[in-house]
Amino acid sequence: MSALYDIPIIARGRIIDPGEDAVEFKGRAGARFRTPDPHKHIQDLVLGNPVLLKDLNDTPVRQIVDFLAAAGKRLRLEGNPYLQESFALALRAGGLDEPILRGVYDTLPGMFDPRGLMELAERTIGTDYLDGWVPAPAPDSNVRVRAVGTRQLHITAGNVPVVAALTIIRAALTKSDCLIKSPSNDPLTANAIARTLIELDANHPVTRHIAVAYWKGGDELMDSQIVRTSRIDKITAWGGMSSVKHIQKFLTPGIDLTALNPKYSISVLGKEALESEAAMKEAALGVAVLSGFYNQTACVNTRIVYVESEADEASLQRLIELGRKIVAAYGRLPPVMSTPAAAPNADLEAELEAASLEEDFYHVEGNTVGGGVVVSRFSDRVDFYDRLNSRVVNIVPIPDLLEIVKWCDDTTQTVGVYPESLRDRLADPLALAGVQRLVALEGEDPMRMFQEMNTLPPGMPHDGMEPMRRGVRWVIDQRRRGAAVPVRLAVG
Amino acid sequence: MSLAPRQAASSLALFPADRPGSWLDQGYEPVLATSWRDCEDVQLSVLKRRFEQMKESVVALERLVKRQGVRSVDSVEDVLPLLFDHRVYKSYPLSLIEHRDIPKLNAWLDRLTTHDLSRVDLSGLTMIDDWLTRLDEAGMLIGTSSGTTGKLSFVPRSKVELPAWTRSYHEASRATSGVDPYTDHVDTFFPGYRGGHHMMLKMLSLFNIPAAGGPERYHTLYQTHISSDLMSLAARMQAAEDRGELQKLGLEPALLKAREEMITQAKRRDQDIESWFFKLFEEFRGKRVKLGGSFGDLVRTARSGIQKGLKPEFAPHSFIMTGGGMKGLKDAPEDWEGYVGDYFGIHNIGMVYGMSEVMGMSPRCSHKHFHIMPHTIPVLFDRDMKMLPRKGAQTGRYAFFDLMAASYWGGFISGDQVTIHWEEDCPCGWKGPRIGPVITRFAEMEGGDDKITCAGTAQAYNEFMDFVSQV
Repeated sequence: MSALYDIPIIARGRIIDPGEDAVEFKGRAGARFRTPDPHKHIQDLVLGNPVLLKDLNDTPVRQIVDFLAAAGKRLRLEGNPYLQESFALALRAGGLDEPILRGVYDTLPGMFDPRGLMELAERTIGTDYLDGWVPAPAPDSNVRVRAVGTRQLHITAGNVPVVAALTIIRAALTKSDCLIKSPSNDPLTANAIARTLIELDANHPVTRHIAVAYWKGGDELMDSQIVRTSRIDKITAWGGMSSVKHIQKFLTPGIDLTALNPKYSISVLGKEALESEAAMKEAALGVAVLSGFYNQTACVNTRIVYVESEADEASLQRLIELGRKIVAAYGRLPPVMSTPAAAPNADLEAELEAASLEEDFYHVEGNTVGGGVVVSRFSDRVDFYDRLNSRVVNIVPIPDLLEIVKWCDDTTQTVGVYPESLRDRLADPLALAGVQRLVALEGEDPMRMFQEMNTLPPGMPHDGMEPMRRGVRWVIDQRRRGAAVPVRLAVG
Repeated sequence: MSLAPRQAASSLALFPADRPGSWLDQGYEPVLATSWRDCEDVQLSVLKRRFEQMKESVVALERLVKRQGVRSVDSVEDVLPLLFDHRVYKSYPLSLIEHRDIPKLNAWLDRLTTHDLSRVDLSGLTMIDDWLTRLDEAGMLIGTSSGTTGKLSFVPRSKVELPAWTRSYHEASRATSGVDPYTDHVDTFFPGYRGGHHMMLKMLSLFNIPAAGGPERYHTLYQTHISSDLMSLAARMQAAEDRGELQKLGLEPALLKAREEMITQAKRRDQDIESWFFKLFEEFRGKRVKLGGSFGDLVRTARSGIQKGLKPEFAPHSFIMTGGGMKGLKDAPEDWEGYVGDYFGIHNIGMVYGMSEVMGMSPRCSHKHFHIMPHTIPVLFDRDMKMLPRKGAQTGRYAFFDLMAASYWGGFISGDQVTIHWEEDCPCGWKGPRIGPVITRFAEMEGGDDKITCAGTAQAYNEFMDFVSQV
């Protein structure tokens, strides 16, 4: 049965429902959705005149935060029909099971916590810079700087719905105009949040600067109409080349592109992980948590586990034992974090099958439903490493762990480390190689480990960058040296 | 269902179950005059024998048999779980190639054939090409091919199959072109390499040089062989070059130089083909020729020849043997055959459907369908890898069992999507299941228009690989 969902265009406080000129798109898993013809609503989506950002520019960060916080209180599944609809569709389309998806949606209100939002604005840009002109320290105080909002296009990723919330928060806090192109695997979450804002106050400057629409990637007319220096200042593209390549030909100097490339993550275990039953169990649990949460759909999930080990038979037996423990640990992860797959992943299953016939080179445990491991019997990853998912990791013995930097580059996002003593040895070489984050694999309680791994203080870098600092225009107001400067301009 | 008695007696005589290699001994004509339904029994008995013969002597099959719990083969359906996936011919770890670990590669390959490769002397070998040559000297005929992933696969054919393979190739050529390669030798032009262990090039030099009437009548664009070492290391070398570490790979200087030359050659290829063809037009004006090359090569040459006002004039009964798609060519004319035929003045355009993993070639008939001969048992799968019924017209993923494979397991699942017409009603008069003219790659798409996620990395684009995969 293929359900038909209506996806209205959200245009700066207005909801445009699909009417007679609606167009239909194919979504994931047989879902279909209907949206107003985006070609006819380009003017509703873009902000042709940047001076119209004045209302948001004049709104103090504090007020923006209060507004977002009020919205956050309404972003609970129970009681928010928009989110319920987006949840239902994401469930069908996005590839995450209900308990996990529910858990992800449950994190939404927390993302809008006012203290956290204030901290985010303060630590990334500084509310002073957002709310007014900040003079340089004396004797250069004739020069002032302000962080000014921009007109942004966000091509968002849909594998985890928090991306939509994150995008709206970042844009609002930078006092920017935000056009979100929804992905086909999550066409409704940004929509649902924007509609919640409209319900709260359709005329609030934040609401007045959010537009959300779906159009098909590669729609040249849309891209050529929207991606113009007269209409867009900044583009944030999740998903790397596949999402950028279509708009690439319209990119010109003057449009700043932040590409949040697809990322790949790994774990590194020191020899200590194999030295005792208890250590092996702990390391296995750490790997299972970091690779297994959200069913290994996210960039932060570990896919390859490098272990400090020789590749002789006795060492390999210990790696196989570690692998068994990882598979067993998948089975014990709470369903809000990780669940068995509804159906096998045919492509990867075929790879596992081929690998398991190569007994001289690989050892396979488990499968793509309950989770699995491929142990390499030599110091190299499997050739299908870039297709590891469905909670399947590749365990690779490496006598000298520093060797792994040759497999690390800008696409290597997160590295799980065990034990902690390994960290000092690896942090700098990995950082130089391109790695963007190290996390701990120690711990006993999977839920707590999961929460710790996924909790960063407000304003931390994202994939090695600071997207919010890139989202604003840093403007200089320079007077003659020695000229009197008002300490602060009143705002609002 | 027809009530007419089956021609069991005559097909028994034509298709001795113990010698599938001899089925074409009387030419393709009686074979393509026989209904596939009349061959099912004899096909099955060969299939059973192949299974019994190889279930223990081909280690890779033995493992698969054990895994799938197959005890015996009593029908085509029984063999379906035992068809080799494309991964089987390239399931060695890539690092074996990178480190040129020939003994381990040899041991890996040994598990795919009934021949005992452990007896082959591997001393002194450091290159993939030399290893394959050594194996060929010992009686193998290994063919490599590189798929979309760039990893080299090795098809473990041997000289045991050569007579039947040769016969099948020539009969298919004869069926589609009407020219007898055994008796009617024609100067042949192929815009590519002269040879190498790449399966297609190996076939061309094994079969087309004698058909042309000897090496001096077989004309190729390049006089060199394609290097398996380069092909197998292309991706690795590209990655190392991007990091500025190509020298650190410790490869032989000759190999690095060969790579440079190949890249330069690739960049010039379009112009080189053109001038090569144009020179040929002059030298062979008024003579009878056979032209090879991909559709793309032929269209490109015709287009540029028309632009420059260059017109070939070959003798009557010249012919073209082509295949391999429009690689790299955009806006090909819809009726490219008419376009090419008019330009070259050659309207006999022969084509066969085959791939590295199968010896039985399927000739294209006068109605542009490819007829499968009984040495190949064709099967179609749907997306869920369920066998599609063998009746009517069905479109699916093409798989087959090659009954001519006597020293390795002939069951294979291809990556092609084809339509098979099982009813033998082709207006051309030939029988056999036939494959329609539209052949595409079987894409394992899950649907959805533009899913975006933050996870995973795609293989970097590699222009070198892109080139070598078109040889």
